Amino acid sequence: MQPDAIALPTPAPRRKKPALWRRTQEFWLPLVVLTLLVLAWEIACRVFGVPAYLLPSPSAIWGETWAMRMQVLTHAGATFTTVMVGFLVSVAISLPLAVALTSSRMIANAIYPILILTQSIPKVALAPILVVVLGANELPRIVITFLVAFFPLVLSCAAGLLAVPPELLELGRACRASKWQELVRIRLPFAMPIVFSGLKAAIALAVVGAVVAEFVNADRGLGYLIVSATAFFKVPLAWGALILLSFMGIVLFQIVVAVERILVPWSNDNGKL
Amino acid sequence: MITIDRASKVFLTRDGEDIVALKDASLTIGDCEFIALVGPSGCGKSTLLRLIGGLLPLSGGTITMDGAKVTGPREDTGIVFQAPTLLPWATIKDNVLFPLSLMGKLQPDSKAKAGQLLEMVGLGGFEQKYPRELSGGMQQRAAICRALLHDPSVLLMDEPFGALDALTREEMTLELLRIWTERPKTIVFVTHSISEAVLLADRVVVMSPRPGQIVEIIDVPLSRPRSFDQEGSDEFQRCARRIRELIFGRRDARAA
Repeated sequence: MQPDAIALPTPAPRRKKPALWRRTQEFWLPLVVLTLLVLAWEIACRVFGVPAYLLPSPSAIWGETWAMRMQVLTHAGATFTTVMVGFLVSVAISLPLAVALTSSRMIANAIYPILILTQSIPKVALAPILVVVLGANELPRIVITFLVAFFPLVLSCAAGLLAVPPELLELGRACRASKWQELVRIRLPFAMPIVFSGLKAAIALAVVGAVVAEFVNADRGLGYLIVSATAFFKVPLAWGALILLSFMGIVLFQIVVAVERILVPWSNDNGKL
Repeated sequence: MITIDRASKVFLTRDGEDIVALKDASLTIGDCEFIALVGPSGCGKSTLLRLIGGLLPLSGGTITMDGAKVTGPREDTGIVFQAPTLLPWATIKDNVLFPLSLMGKLQPDSKAKAGQLLEMVGLGGFEQKYPRELSGGMQQRAAICRALLHDPSVLLMDEPFGALDALTREEMTLELLRIWTERPKTIVFVTHSISEAVLLADRVVVMSPRPGQIVEIIDVPLSRPRSFDQEGSDEFQRCARRIRELIFGRRDARAA
């Protein structure tokens, strides 16, 4: 049936370690593509003579922004403060709120419709009213940032708290754990991976919220800089502020991802978004 | 000794309907006896297990453990579920120590005891690993250690090997018998598997659904220590056939 069944030992295929440029391509490939895009943008602006108020060239954006670097940094610092305070307030309010929501059906029925209501309010429309109510200071900006950022955080915290396997809660009850122990030792740690997906959404939204607030009422901040720069047709500076704002969003997001990797190493989400 | 006297459990559904999960179950379980609860889904075997553990309040009847009425969870009871349900953020050793730490009863020698237990089930050297680094069978062994650490007099097991593959399941069955021999205690074991029930138990409690109730209690006269060799014996076959008859009715049992 099988002529010559003696199998010759075939040499194992040589497994070479992938070359360095291949292993690190995840890192440098996007950078190369981005550089090429910026280059194409620059060339297009020069070749076709696009006016700066329509689309400034990258070199013009860099030039104008660099020239005003101290002011730009001050504005960026103001926005950063608003984003961080708004974000931290969101965390401080969302977690206890989620615990309350998931602890009893009555509380959930009482609070949930109000939460939905706060989400249906257009925040941009609310901003000028809040300024009148709370005064032209940092407070309305923080409140707007909070209102934009906190909702997905509450939802993910609540989802996380409800995702605990019922057997684990039974185990807790079998050990006669108190409600507080159940929350701190079982529910909250179990919720962490899902809480962090909410934190990632919240930090991104906090940047949006801060800028919205600055559009309406501010004397500093990158949002304010964009509004005032465009008002004076300093379009390249507005672009510079926009790019800086995006950069801030990316960095803050990555910080949350890094904190997650340290605090929640068991999360399946690690390594992905 | 556990005495169950006409225990009943009625659940109220969301629509306000009553569902009788268990009706007038009576059973006396001796110390260090191995009892298996067998029956189709919805026969109330898990409910009975939770009633014994004090995790559910009774709707009727009484359950007493060593003369005292069971009104809530007792500390001398250990529970193993179908899923290992280990804490993903804690090491295997910390998982085993978890119930004791919840009860605030960590002793200086608890860690050493946990190490011994893990050694006994073949998990020595895995103390500092995390659950995700272990196979399903190993996780379930750790979960059994977790239930055994405070040396409960009663071990309640709710289909503990139900989520394991067939080979691991046989291995774990022998493992459990060995643990039980080394540390004798009362075990109430819920299972879907008739052969598992016969091989493990001193007595098999056969239950039927709608409403969940005990149909018959079958003595298993097999000698101990048990092994899979006994599956071919007449006594084993007679017990298994009787259980099958009770669950599927006579005709189906003969056909099977």
